[in-house]
Amino acid sequence: MSFSSPSDPRVDQAAVTDESVISAHEKLLGAQPDEKGHYRLAPLNVLFFLSGLIMFGGTYLGRYAGYFDARVYNENVLHGGGSGEAPAAIDPLVLGKKLFNNAACNVCHQPTGLGLPGAIPPLVNSDWVTGSDEKLIRILLHGLQGPIKVAGMDYNSAMPAFGRVAGSGFNWSDDKIAAVLTYIRQEWGNQASGVSVEKVTAIHAKEGDHKPWTVVELEKLP
Amino acid sequence: MTTAPTNAASAEVTPIDRQARGPLLLLLVLGVLWLVPSGIFALLASIQLHSPQFLTDCEWLTHGRLEALQETAFLYGWAANVGLAIALWVLARLGGYPLRALNWTVAGAIFWNLGLVGGLVGIATGDMTTFSFFQLPRYVQPLMVFAYAAMAISGVLAWSGRRTDSTFAAHWYAVAALFLFPWMFLAAEVVLIWLPVRGTVQAIAAGWYAQGVWTLWLAPLALAGCYYIIPKVSGRVLSSYESAPLGFWCLLSVGAWTGGRHLIGGPVPAWIATMAVVTSALMLFHYLVVALNFRGVASAPGTGATFIRFGVSAYLLVGLLEVLTSFRAVALHTQFTFFATAQTQLGYYGAISMMFFGAVYYLVPRLAGRAWSSAGLVAGHRGLVMLGVVGSVAGLALAGFTQGAGLLQATVSQGSIFEGMRLPLLLNTCAQATLLVANLLLVVNLIRTMATCCTTVDATAGLFRPSMNLEAPAS
Amino acid sequence: MKNGPLFLLGLLVTIALSFLGVVIGSHAQLGNLVPFYDDAEGQAFPQRSSGIAARGQLVYGDLGCASCHTQQVRRPDYGSDQARGWGDRQSVARDYVHQSRPQLGASRLGPDLKNFGARKPVVASELDIFNFLFSGSARHPAYPFLFETRKVSGEVSAGSFLPAGKTPQSGFELVATERGRSLAAYLLSLTSGYDYPESKPVVLSKKVEGTK
Repeated sequence: MSFSSPSDPRVDQAAVTDESVISAHEKLLGAQPDEKGHYRLAPLNVLFFLSGLIMFGGTYLGRYAGYFDARVYNENVLHGGGSGEAPAAIDPLVLGKKLFNNAACNVCHQPTGLGLPGAIPPLVNSDWVTGSDEKLIRILLHGLQGPIKVAGMDYNSAMPAFGRVAGSGFNWSDDKIAAVLTYIRQEWGNQASGVSVEKVTAIHAKEGDHKPWTVVELEKLP
Repeated sequence: MTTAPTNAASAEVTPIDRQARGPLLLLLVLGVLWLVPSGIFALLASIQLHSPQFLTDCEWLTHGRLEALQETAFLYGWAANVGLAIALWVLARLGGYPLRALNWTVAGAIFWNLGLVGGLVGIATGDMTTFSFFQLPRYVQPLMVFAYAAMAISGVLAWSGRRTDSTFAAHWYAVAALFLFPWMFLAAEVVLIWLPVRGTVQAIAAGWYAQGVWTLWLAPLALAGCYYIIPKVSGRVLSSYESAPLGFWCLLSVGAWTGGRHLIGGPVPAWIATMAVVTSALMLFHYLVVALNFRGVASAPGTGATFIRFGVSAYLLVGLLEVLTSFRAVALHTQFTFFATAQTQLGYYGAISMMFFGAVYYLVPRLAGRAWSSAGLVAGHRGLVMLGVVGSVAGLALAGFTQGAGLLQATVSQGSIFEGMRLPLLLNTCAQATLLVANLLLVVNLIRTMATCCTTVDATAGLFRPSMNLEAPAS
Repeated sequence: MKNGPLFLLGLLVTIALSFLGVVIGSHAQLGNLVPFYDDAEGQAFPQRSSGIAARGQLVYGDLGCASCHTQQVRRPDYGSDQARGWGDRQSVARDYVHQSRPQLGASRLGPDLKNFGARKPVVASELDIFNFLFSGSARHPAYPFLFETRKVSGEVSAGSFLPAGKTPQSGFELVATERGRSLAAYLLSLTSGYDYPESKPVVLSKKVEGTK
């Protein structure tokens, strides 16, 4: 029985030899030694298509790759804002309350701001808190030592330094200082103005690393 | 155009085939046999998709493990064995000498398949790595690398010791697949298993490997087979062959970057998904080159060409879908849905496997020295597998559309999405059953063909017509 | 492409380029991610999960739950993740730094689980989870092998439960195995925790400092 019928599905007939397949295609690539080194590029339209794809790719990367920044998860982000929404501003009262109650201030001044009579001065009904912020900012930045009279009572404890100064155990940034001070000036019935970050920064820059203040030094300030 | 051969050495079955008969038939038979367990796993998993309580008492067959079993058996059982056989045979035929180091190939094949069985048992008992397409347990992985390297030695030797100095596209793709897979596998082992990278970088690395399975391993194996078979059966030079080198390097250098499209909107920086978009678009060039080169298969005769036609069309469609679904606006509807599964099914079954089937139908008569035993089984397999692929892809895609539309609206509950997907997933199950039956037909056909193969006298005398010489068209 | 060694070198270069770019590039950017220390809270996020929850993630992994559930929330304007209550912000890489093998998942046959332990209005209890895992539902497989029926010794264990519709067998109780308990602990530990700076859209300008 001859199986060499071309349409027999049980065996596929090969039309050409292997060697000729190789040599014929090699000729197409123009690299046969008997050719005069005539290398044929791929057809022009194919190459145009490739360049078009590369151009599309480059443009797309430029716009949507987020500048290959590891922090960018949203491909729509652009330099200078673009279509990214601005990050929500943090409410200083919320931040200030959080910082106050994070075992930093509340252990001494109490969450109610009343302090410990005889030991820790209160923050409620206190001129030091609601009065000038020049003194208040310095107290929080650099700390306070020595006797102080608050709301008619005498206290003589040491208030630690909270700012980014030498000897500080907390190293709070200026905006944290501003947030906490804003909070205590507007909580528990206190009604004073908030404290701005710029003012804290200015005072911090002016005073640098200062030892903990005494009341005598502070009274010289406006 | 062809001319009469100038020498008598144009017989289609040569000493090359006779010598390679044993090892390559072993690989082919093992590969085809793996279609059966992989088909069974796929069928069971597809039933669980619409009836989650199916087999729910059995810890070994819980859905997650069943999916891992199915993809591992398919990729490392069917695709690996058959792809390797195709690559080795193509390199041998183009190299012009019989294959050397075939003992290594046989040893490698045995250890690869034993390792795979051990790995599947490991997955079923809960040692899977949880990385897609890389689920083999860690204790089996080194064995697989060495077994593959053993099998590949023969091919690389056949290429480096080839008779002619010039090379052909099938050479490049076959050598690339043989050479790159161990590196890729080892690299993935290092960054995922031995010295795991931190957090989501694992997902990125796993995506790189999963994409590499397609781009650096299976697609080259399938394309090697096609590049060899199409000119052989059509008797014509491949059109636009001058672009073939560019298409080859495009696939290899650009393809592995496209894995990032699975991480759109995910916990990775935006540039990963954007690179995927850009490189998927660049890959269109590779698909164009393949489309141009393989134009000749449209009119080529033979069973192999029928399968390859289907496979190439699916391959091109996969490329197009990759680009489309990598754009975020489209991914919004298709991500995390069965549409992605449909794409995977189209790629691995509709494209790669069909191209492999075509090569199998072409190869086996030449290796076994006799024709396939039954034309009916050939036609049955061909019809059913095409039907099955179309059915499963359509079913999964429809399910994906429903799911995507439902997921986008927060008011649609997951329960109602599930109900909406039931019918398309049933279609998928029927299609998987069809595929299993089709592959059983192939197994029967193959075994019947092999049953008489090595015992009787070589009957190749009337089997093949003498081939002509291919001439390049006048430029 | 005739020159053998050169061709093989070319192949190696192509795979090295994609590996270096994709994997090593991401590793360079994300591999050193450290938890984010919040001064106001006084602790670093993400917090480490408990040991039993970490073991639970291994159970989650080996059962292949990631084949139907994702654990990555997309940003609010991309998809309905936020509207479905799966998370208020996008998951970022920092969320996963303490996980030995993040189970991001790629398919949403079931809901996203990134914030399962923080669902509003009420989080599932451990008992709800046990009941659900034992019986499954029409849309979810059951995992009865994560539970065992054992003889009551002394008094009935605190962790024993009775699934709806089952009559109790006298002298026996149904409890979760170690695997079941750790899986439940893991699921309940899945919360998003903290809003990292990079999880909000980043406005890039020279003044914004890095988030190290």
